Amino acid sequence: MADGSKAIVVSGLVKTYGKTEALRGLDFEIPSGQLTGFLGPNGAGKTTSFRAILGLTNPDAGDIEILGRQIPKGLPEVVKQIGVIVEEPGLIKSLNGRLNLLVAADTLGFGHDRIDEMLEFVGLTADAHRKADDYSKGMRQRLALAAALLGDPQLLILDEPLDGLDPAGQHAFRARLRDLANSGKTVVVSSHDLGDIEALADYVVVVNHGELVTQGPLADLLEGGGTRVKAGDLDAASNALKAAGFEFERDGEGLLIDSEDGESITRSLAEAGIYPSQVSPEKSSLENVFLGLTGLDVR
Amino acid sequence: MSLLRAEYRKISRRKVFPVMTLVLITFVGLAAFFLFIFGEIAPEIADELPVLEKPEVYTVGAQQAVTQTWFPLILATVLLGGELSTTVWASALTRDSRRIRQLLVRFFTYSLATTIAFLFAFFLWVGLAYFFAPGEGFMETSEFLSIFWKAGLVAIAWSSIGTGAVAMLRSVGPAIGVGLAIYFAEQFLALWDVWENISLTAATTALFFVDIGGGFGGFIPGGDLPLWHQLAIIFGWTLVGLGFTWWGLQRRDA
Repeated sequence: MADGSKAIVVSGLVKTYGKTEALRGLDFEIPSGQLTGFLGPNGAGKTTSFRAILGLTNPDAGDIEILGRQIPKGLPEVVKQIGVIVEEPGLIKSLNGRLNLLVAADTLGFGHDRIDEMLEFVGLTADAHRKADDYSKGMRQRLALAAALLGDPQLLILDEPLDGLDPAGQHAFRARLRDLANSGKTVVVSSHDLGDIEALADYVVVVNHGELVTQGPLADLLEGGGTRVKAGDLDAASNALKAAGFEFERDGEGLLIDSEDGESITRSLAEAGIYPSQVSPEKSSLENVFLGLTGLDVR
Repeated sequence: MSLLRAEYRKISRRKVFPVMTLVLITFVGLAAFFLFIFGEIAPEIADELPVLEKPEVYTVGAQQAVTQTWFPLILATVLLGGELSTTVWASALTRDSRRIRQLLVRFFTYSLATTIAFLFAFFLWVGLAYFFAPGEGFMETSEFLSIFWKAGLVAIAWSSIGTGAVAMLRSVGPAIGVGLAIYFAEQFLALWDVWENISLTAATTALFFVDIGGGFGGFIPGGDLPLWHQLAIIFGWTLVGLGFTWWGLQRRDA
């Protein structure tokens, strides 16, 4: 459950590779007990951030705190409380699913008592005897998730976990991520698929060019999309709204008014003798918000 | 124990170890074939081959098997390098509170696996020599038993070169390249009197030195090195290899 505490606090993170500034004073916080979508276009600094958090990349400047410990000094104390799928999942293809988890448990210093439970959680109990090499991409990702959960971690960091999965695989994986967040774990997911994040996340961090663009609850990010009006005579409706001082755009869906005051909009139209078929709040899509914030051009 | 169990499962179920062992055995078997069987098939070249008789032929066999030091070098590079290329294992190797144990257990596993492979090759040679080499007799018991610990020492030293290369370079291909460059360069440098005093190849070969004379014997380095000197060289190179391994693993941004 979200309790207001922060699982990850990053401040002033700087990292340069040669002439490339991968991170330029990045600040963000990941709240505990929620599912956070970590978004950014290619090259925004997402993977570099994850690698810095896991102590595999040495930032040039900045501070990182994970579960109350300063990184990298405190990393040995918390690394077992972090489950990770970043880049390659590290499965051994010649071993079956169960043996992969046994090896992971032994290597990472966990007991074997959660292996059956995790196989069942990710839906691989029936396939546990098969070699990982025979698994589909989705099954390998689920096995990687099971391995990441062996230590019952407080924090899960998943970099593009849905990449390459078919729709059924994505659906199954999303359901499991949501279950984990609902159980009180902190889950951080980066994804290119904004639809996934929109469906999953409680909180969003958006980065671009190595800097924070915005962060906050997803609901806050998506509100303020204006009001949608549909009417039989859009010309008359446009004139009435313009006369009333509203700003709006006309598109294929009708009129999009730059105001959430549905009552005033309805009154203005009614006073002009126009009875719209629809006056409703227009919710932004995460895609529109993301493109607007990052300045990307979809054309 | 759990770490050992994990490493055993990893190495025993993957193709790299049995395939490399097969290659090693083939090399040593071919050497045995040419040295004391081929002369029977092609007598015209028999005069040009050194005469290997029992019991010296068994020591030569140990030398032939254990000086295939590309084996521990490549095995360690491939196994450790494969893990360093994945974030979750790299994190365990480099940031876990048990990282020293993580490294030592892997190193022990690679060295033990190499020793076993060396011994497989040696026993193949012993079998072929028993049936095809001229002469009578077998090695002294103490000498026979010494092969086990000497093979282990060589495995440890050359494994450390492999782990050092891949820990520094963080990429299997280039690390194998560097390791093989060291391996081949050492083969030649060991023939130089000055380098011979610190040469790992010379020390490795000298552990199983037997003077079989002729042109063949003249190209075996390290024959004059006393045992303490051989062991010091091997120990020194092991420290260097392990030092680079530890340093490489503690580096970030690799």
